[in-house]
Amino acid sequence: MLQELSFGFPILSLILFLPLAGALVLWALEEEDLVKNAALGISVLELILTGVLLTRFVPDSAAMQFSEQVPWIPPLGISYHLAVDGISVLFVPLTAFLTTLVILYSWDTVRYQIKEYFIALLALETATVGIFISIDLIVFFVFWELMLIPSYFLIKLWGGGVERQYAALKYVLYTLLGSVFMLVGIVLLNLNYHDWAVTHHVEPIYSFDFLQLLTTPIPAERQVLIFWLMFMGLAFKAPIFPFHTWLPDALIEGPIGMAVILAGIKLGTYGFMRFSLPLLPEASKSQSVVTVVMGLALAAILYGAIVALIQPDLRRLLAFSSISHLGFVLLGLFALNYQGLQGGLLTMVNLGFTTAGLFFLAGFLYVRRHSTQLSAFGGLARKVPVLATFLLIIGLASIGLPGTNGFVGEFLVLLGAFSAYWVYGVVGVTGVILGAAYFLWYYERAMFGPLAQGLTQTIQDLNAREKLIAVSLSVMIFWIGLYPAPFLRIMNGSVQALVDRLEHGQMATAQVSATTPHE
Amino acid sequence: MTFNLTLSGSDLLLLLPEMVLTAWLCVVLTVDFVMPRLPKDRLAYLSVGGLGVVLATLVWFELEGITGTLFAHMFVVDRMALFFKIFIVGATLLVILVSMDYVRRFRFFRGEYYFLVLMSALGMMFMASANDLLSVFITLEFSTFGFYVLVAYLRDDVASNEAGLKFFILGVFAAGLLAYGISLVFGETGKLVFSDLARAEPTPGLIIGYLLIFAALGFKIGAVPFHSWIPDTYHGAPTPVTAFLSIAPKGAAFAILLRMLFVSLATLKPVWALLLVFASILSMTYGNIVAIAQRNIKRLLAYSGIAQIGNILIGLAAGTKMGSDAILFYLLTYLFSNLGAFAIVVAVGNLINSDEIEDYNGLNRRSPFMAFAMLVFLLSLAGVPPLAGFIGKLYIFLAAINEGLYTLIVVGLINIVISMYYYLVVVKKMYINEPADPSPLRISAPMKAVVYAGLAGTLVLGIYPQPFIDWVVAATLMFSNLPGPAASMPPAILPFGG
Repeated sequence: MLQELSFGFPILSLILFLPLAGALVLWALEEEDLVKNAALGISVLELILTGVLLTRFVPDSAAMQFSEQVPWIPPLGISYHLAVDGISVLFVPLTAFLTTLVILYSWDTVRYQIKEYFIALLALETATVGIFISIDLIVFFVFWELMLIPSYFLIKLWGGGVERQYAALKYVLYTLLGSVFMLVGIVLLNLNYHDWAVTHHVEPIYSFDFLQLLTTPIPAERQVLIFWLMFMGLAFKAPIFPFHTWLPDALIEGPIGMAVILAGIKLGTYGFMRFSLPLLPEASKSQSVVTVVMGLALAAILYGAIVALIQPDLRRLLAFSSISHLGFVLLGLFALNYQGLQGGLLTMVNLGFTTAGLFFLAGFLYVRRHSTQLSAFGGLARKVPVLATFLLIIGLASIGLPGTNGFVGEFLVLLGAFSAYWVYGVVGVTGVILGAAYFLWYYERAMFGPLAQGLTQTIQDLNAREKLIAVSLSVMIFWIGLYPAPFLRIMNGSVQALVDRLEHGQMATAQVSATTPHE
Repeated sequence: MTFNLTLSGSDLLLLLPEMVLTAWLCVVLTVDFVMPRLPKDRLAYLSVGGLGVVLATLVWFELEGITGTLFAHMFVVDRMALFFKIFIVGATLLVILVSMDYVRRFRFFRGEYYFLVLMSALGMMFMASANDLLSVFITLEFSTFGFYVLVAYLRDDVASNEAGLKFFILGVFAAGLLAYGISLVFGETGKLVFSDLARAEPTPGLIIGYLLIFAALGFKIGAVPFHSWIPDTYHGAPTPVTAFLSIAPKGAAFAILLRMLFVSLATLKPVWALLLVFASILSMTYGNIVAIAQRNIKRLLAYSGIAQIGNILIGLAAGTKMGSDAILFYLLTYLFSNLGAFAIVVAVGNLINSDEIEDYNGLNRRSPFMAFAMLVFLLSLAGVPPLAGFIGKLYIFLAAINEGLYTLIVVGLINIVISMYYYLVVVKKMYINEPADPSPLRISAPMKAVVYAGLAGTLVLGIYPQPFIDWVVAATLMFSNLPGPAASMPPAILPFGG
């Protein structure tokens, strides 16, 4: 059983419900500027709180920290149980960071129903944070589903594409379809626990608590069934090739802010690392599962990269590159060794800065040209040098140039993949090369060469707000790229425990030094 | 069989809620007769007040734990009966509030409307206590009688008349089936009380008798293949009556179904569970798929209601204590979400005189409150967390999965996705489309009260369901000696759970 640390103050609940409470406050406000400032204020406050969370987090520990538990529906074994460990803790500040940037970006790019937009965005933040900090599987599922509602409205009401109605509905129905299978998987986990608890006379007889489920042995063939049921939910949400078809639609038709959240926060692959791998180690290790999942990961890497190569639209290119990157994450996770898992986790965090950052830049371009089609650009570097520079920096990070965060993540993933089976590594490297090709080719055509038609009139370079977004993203990119140690230390304990569990089927007891700041 | 009809004071006490309601509906009728110029709103408040008194007596029974049986076990007051009575009285109370504006549309007999609603409620309260086959027949017919009139209340409206006639003919047919089935069962066993029937050996005559009885009850709850009256009747009836019809009789009929299946037929569970699995799959799939094509909001809710009944049948098919808990809880969530949705339909219908989904375009611009409330109710019906419907569905699915009914679960879950589609179509019209007429809509005070009650119920049952779960668990304690959950998961996924 994993050790649990409580903090004495319900900081996770505060982080969880602050944006929702903020959304309710926005409801009461009337004036537009006030709404914007309030939304920004709430998101910054949230960012500060999550920063506090990160600084008080004990690194190199596998313990579940800041634990809070209140019974919710005891007869069904559901409790409101929140906690973070090395796997989840980084995503909480990441979500707050991206939401803050999205609010900054939306400042003057969202022009109608402004109040409703910020309400939906803050509600989305609560649901997303909830997914990362829930340790009870039903509470997790609640937030997992809840996220669909604000996303639906964000895509539908503020999307820029003509097909946004279709995209929003497709997104909701696809992910819902996956989720219902996942719910069956979750209920089967509970039922397995129930059988075990009844035969061993353990109280309570029902439980959805991750930590309690971890202590329950699950027969191997049942693990495989549950694994595939969970896989459906996670694969649709991630999305993993071939369940990805909603993603390009949602990213292109929806607003930039939604695209940043959807592409930057990797919920599906997080679900694998949080629940599937530790709860179902036998299934995750089994030859059939590894072969299928790795096959899908490699297919996603190559498919995404090749389709991205021929896209003339930057947002479409990014959508497919996002599918390719997800393949990388999956490649790392199912290498099932320390480097692979750590690389996969770090890559998930990295994508929150690189892919999300590229979507911001696509948004900057869209604001200037009302298009992200290649035909609208050409020779832009002369006109907007600052924008072009940041596009290059974030783009190079996304293709994994040494010195940027992308390199650290991809390197670890490939290391893990090679030591698992060399073919995985070789195909993965091909994906890296293709990634460099599609980005640089696009960049060259958009930024250099002759000026595109209609570009002769003046075109503004980045304004202060946009610079703030680009600079803060670049700072994170270089920080992780040049000095990843603090981040890796945060992950280390939990990743090591996960590796131990995968190898020995037993979660290593967490060792936490006596000088921990909490308790 | 001898009948002892001497009633002591404490026996009469068990009938107190029904007696209060009987007295009250006479008062309502008399007041309407004696003071014809009295505004009809006053009659509505008088009825609400009476129902409040009935509710208070029921709560008192519940808190004091007053239980017992009367008339040689024909009439039983136990925790489950009390639950269903509170459910029915609560639903009636909300329906009367919903009706107040609508009643102005009736050209005649406005006062009698409240009398008929109360009378149906009285019949359903007796249904909740019915404990033998004769009282099933009497109470069921008693409660349906009021509805026959109520459905056709819009006298000059062709659709309402057609609805009334269809409901009447099919209803009488179902009553015939019920009487025939009861006579067969009685002929085979010589017994009428549910607990006595439990010891009967299954013979062909008995089986046929039970099948006929269940066909009649299936008609009452509107499960496929006995659903054919639902769409036209719901569509043509006055909307508050539709709301009433979609909730209260369902609850009362489930009280009877639970008693018959879990008490009289506990030993035959493998047989009826299989039938219920089929009925549930058909109801969910048919209801949800046909709902997609609807252009009228009342028809949409009618078909979604058929699907919801299919969901409740899952709990019945599980046939365990947990299944009965889940049914009771689900009915509570359904009460608040469905009645809330119908309240919005009535409110919008009163204001714009249309029930077409097309006319919900841009409702958010015209009345953000109504659009938001409708959004919450529809999402709860679809089962989106953290609203009431999610916990209800989770509870039902947990009960069924404990019994290994995997096929049923998978069909049920896929149906959630289908239902999400048509609920979202309505949401889209409310929030995205431009209104043809952007003038703001104002909701009246009694309607607002009902919508707030629905919102409160939908949120509380979703976020803090614990007290209600405790309540339903206590209400079905009589079923705790049923064969418990299957000892463990079956090795393979058997079709329909074996």
